[in-house]
Amino acid sequence: MVKYLLKRLLHGLISVVIVVAIVMILIYSLMDRNLIFAKDSVYSKKNNNDQTVYKYQQWETYGYLDYVPFSDYMKSLANAGELATDDMTDEEVRSSVVSNFNSTGDLNELTQTYVDQFTSYYESQGYKVTSLSPIVMTTLSGQTKVMDGGSRQLFASKDKSLVSRLITYFTSIISVDNINYADEVSGERGLTFTLYDPVYGGDKLSPAIMGNGTKYKYLVYFTSDFPYIHQNLVKIQLGVSYSVNQGIDVWDTMTQSQGSYVSSTVTWPTGKTESTSYDLHSATYSSGSLASAVETENTLITERYTDDYTNLSSIKGSMSKMGYSFVIGFISVVLAYLFGVPLGIIMARYKDGIVDKIGSLYIIFIIAVPSLAYIFLFKGIGRSMGLPTTFVMDSTSKLMYVLPVVSLALPSIASLMKWLRRYMIDQMNSDYVKFARSGGLTEGEIFSKHIFKNAAIPIIHGIPGSVLGCLVGAIITERVYVVPGAGNLLTTAINAYDNGVIVGVTLFYAMLSVISLILGDILMAMVDPRISFTDSGR
Amino acid sequence: MNNEMINLDDLGLSEEELFSKFDHDSLEAEKITAPRYSYWQSVFRVFFRRKTNIVILVLFVLIMLFTYVYPSVVPYDAYENLMTEGAKHLNPLKAINKFGFSLKYILGTGSTGNSTFQAVWYGARISVSLAFICAAINMTIGVILGAVWGFSKKFDAFMTEVYNVIGNVPYVLLISVLVLIFSPTFWTMVFALTVTGWIGIAYFIRTQVIIIRDREYNLASKCLGTGTFKIAMKNILPFMTSVIVTQLATELPSYISYEVFLAYIGMGLSDMSLGRLIYSAESAMVTAGWEFEFWSPVALSAFITIVLYVVGQNLGDASDPRTHM
Repeated sequence: MVKYLLKRLLHGLISVVIVVAIVMILIYSLMDRNLIFAKDSVYSKKNNNDQTVYKYQQWETYGYLDYVPFSDYMKSLANAGELATDDMTDEEVRSSVVSNFNSTGDLNELTQTYVDQFTSYYESQGYKVTSLSPIVMTTLSGQTKVMDGGSRQLFASKDKSLVSRLITYFTSIISVDNINYADEVSGERGLTFTLYDPVYGGDKLSPAIMGNGTKYKYLVYFTSDFPYIHQNLVKIQLGVSYSVNQGIDVWDTMTQSQGSYVSSTVTWPTGKTESTSYDLHSATYSSGSLASAVETENTLITERYTDDYTNLSSIKGSMSKMGYSFVIGFISVVLAYLFGVPLGIIMARYKDGIVDKIGSLYIIFIIAVPSLAYIFLFKGIGRSMGLPTTFVMDSTSKLMYVLPVVSLALPSIASLMKWLRRYMIDQMNSDYVKFARSGGLTEGEIFSKHIFKNAAIPIIHGIPGSVLGCLVGAIITERVYVVPGAGNLLTTAINAYDNGVIVGVTLFYAMLSVISLILGDILMAMVDPRISFTDSGR
Repeated sequence: MNNEMINLDDLGLSEEELFSKFDHDSLEAEKITAPRYSYWQSVFRVFFRRKTNIVILVLFVLIMLFTYVYPSVVPYDAYENLMTEGAKHLNPLKAINKFGFSLKYILGTGSTGNSTFQAVWYGARISVSLAFICAAINMTIGVILGAVWGFSKKFDAFMTEVYNVIGNVPYVLLISVLVLIFSPTFWTMVFALTVTGWIGIAYFIRTQVIIIRDREYNLASKCLGTGTFKIAMKNILPFMTSVIVTQLATELPSYISYEVFLAYIGMGLSDMSLGRLIYSAESAMVTAGWEFEFWSPVALSAFITIVLYVVGQNLGDASDPRTHM
């Protein structure tokens, strides 16, 4: 059994990798990369050489290519200490080269040397070196002047290959925090364990593991919210967003709470007590932030923090995107099984009866009518009944859940009814049913003890899929009722050309479908003793 | 035993009436007394036996006339009333009051003063054509590949893996990326819906083929030396006709649904198809007096899909030889 499941999991993971590869080919290679500038107002404001440079910079942030401008190259040489001459320091050489490079006139000897060095170095690395000479115009008074955005540019670029992109993507999915993450730390690097979490003032018993030198200050901690114990040690990173939710990982976009801020009384590291919505447990390292705050006399930071862990997120009052999708989806799945299964049994038990006829009409309606049409129909009916048709996050009314849940449940009831009826009717003609009947069992016994048990097996196989599928959200339902769920993430990302989000969401979908298939197999084997995944069992 | 045997002489019949000579005719002996059976004739006999099917078929013909003939007979100009004052967003009653009674204004007018009735049928032409073309392509590829998939064990192992992988690529993503690569024209949409759409059908057909493939009569046929191709064509294909027709009945409406869905999320065609009409009239749904603009395409798409589905399902039922009693 375990061996079989491991094999299945391995197969599943391979197909997940292939799916991600296909999606990467689709969006990075097949799609015209100039499309991302179609709605970009910054791009249309840039001119001449600046526009070209901007294009490459954006392509780098969107993950299309590696882009190295000449100034970055000079900076890295200066940091490595390779520029210093007998009478000039690294920094002096760098600034003189860069200022000469940015001027309109011809390059001097020193600059030309480094330009040649840059070109030959990156060309040998397989990069494409692009050199744009300054665009000048002559004014009416006879002077020459660089046109807007027409300054000299030199940069190297190289498209990322699919294999390297795949490898970097999959190796960075799970990140484990370590004490060598931060560049410079005040105090000693290491982990400390405390029984009294300082966030609560240091009196309340609340164990926490804190790190110094790690990315997150709090690695493991307790709160009063479900599931009580929280961790920042292992983080899932599916891909960083560039336009949908800038700079935030897809996983965080889906799981972070939304809505209005919730304040609570916290004790800052300096000892200052204050009512704020900031979540001190989310503190992440921000290099040199305290030092610069001291320099600029930013009391907002100096009054509160004692170290560089100054980057906080806020606590918000409502559920995450995934939370809303899951709650609505889960209730509708429960409702669907609660109604669909008994109705399907009745339809099969009293075939051609009144329930069967009405049920079949309903099934035809759901199959044939476009989903958009019946969701709007439900919305119209709901509105005439006085139910709220839009979702308001901060509202305490539970009535706003009714229409989305019903709109999701009704089609699933139809499909459950359809399949359960089909399976039961198929079973009704089998030999064991005839045998049971000839043995004198009543029709009720035959149905509940024999036919249903056999017919329910394929239905049971689908349960994990439908429950896990709730995490993904429903595109149309959430859009029609303005639910702040996860269903719209993929379509929004596609419309905004947010490649990181597209890949991340795809990976998430694919993983869910692989896991739910395996869970379905396990559940089926648990319910049906005839199904065995071991060869020796047969 | 009783002794009431009948004496033939008592019946008063002549010898010729009782017995007559009948020559043996070898040609006649070959004929079977059962009525001649023709498959397709029986299909239509069973189909038309139900009165509701005739009604549905009439509706189907009406839909086809309005989708294909009506737009080509009556030219549609979305901007003909653009400059007419008070011609926009009229409900049917007001539109008929303004323009006089005609079929054209039976559903009121839209945002440019255009006739909603004409707009929905123009949209239906695009949507229904899309559904027919996609169904034709997907069914052809799906049935042929599905049959091979079901027969060949090597191909089966390979295709099952392909199926697992393609099944995990989000359909919305695939279609929208394809629509982005090429512009959102009619044929792009056809390509996007068919590039992986056939695999579901092929998988379905493969399962059906595997169920029938190892039945006794096929094993017998194989033992007697019939070739695989002949078994596929003569033994299995007739069995599959009803399955294929039933599948077609669910496929056809599903493309219309898909088109409507894609248009609603903003990834549809640039032409004014049914889905695009619903998408652009979404705001009209909540505006008092404008509801007809929104509900007309919704209702028409529901109506077309139901009729297509029911015709297909009942034709599928009728094409099952077991119902030909």
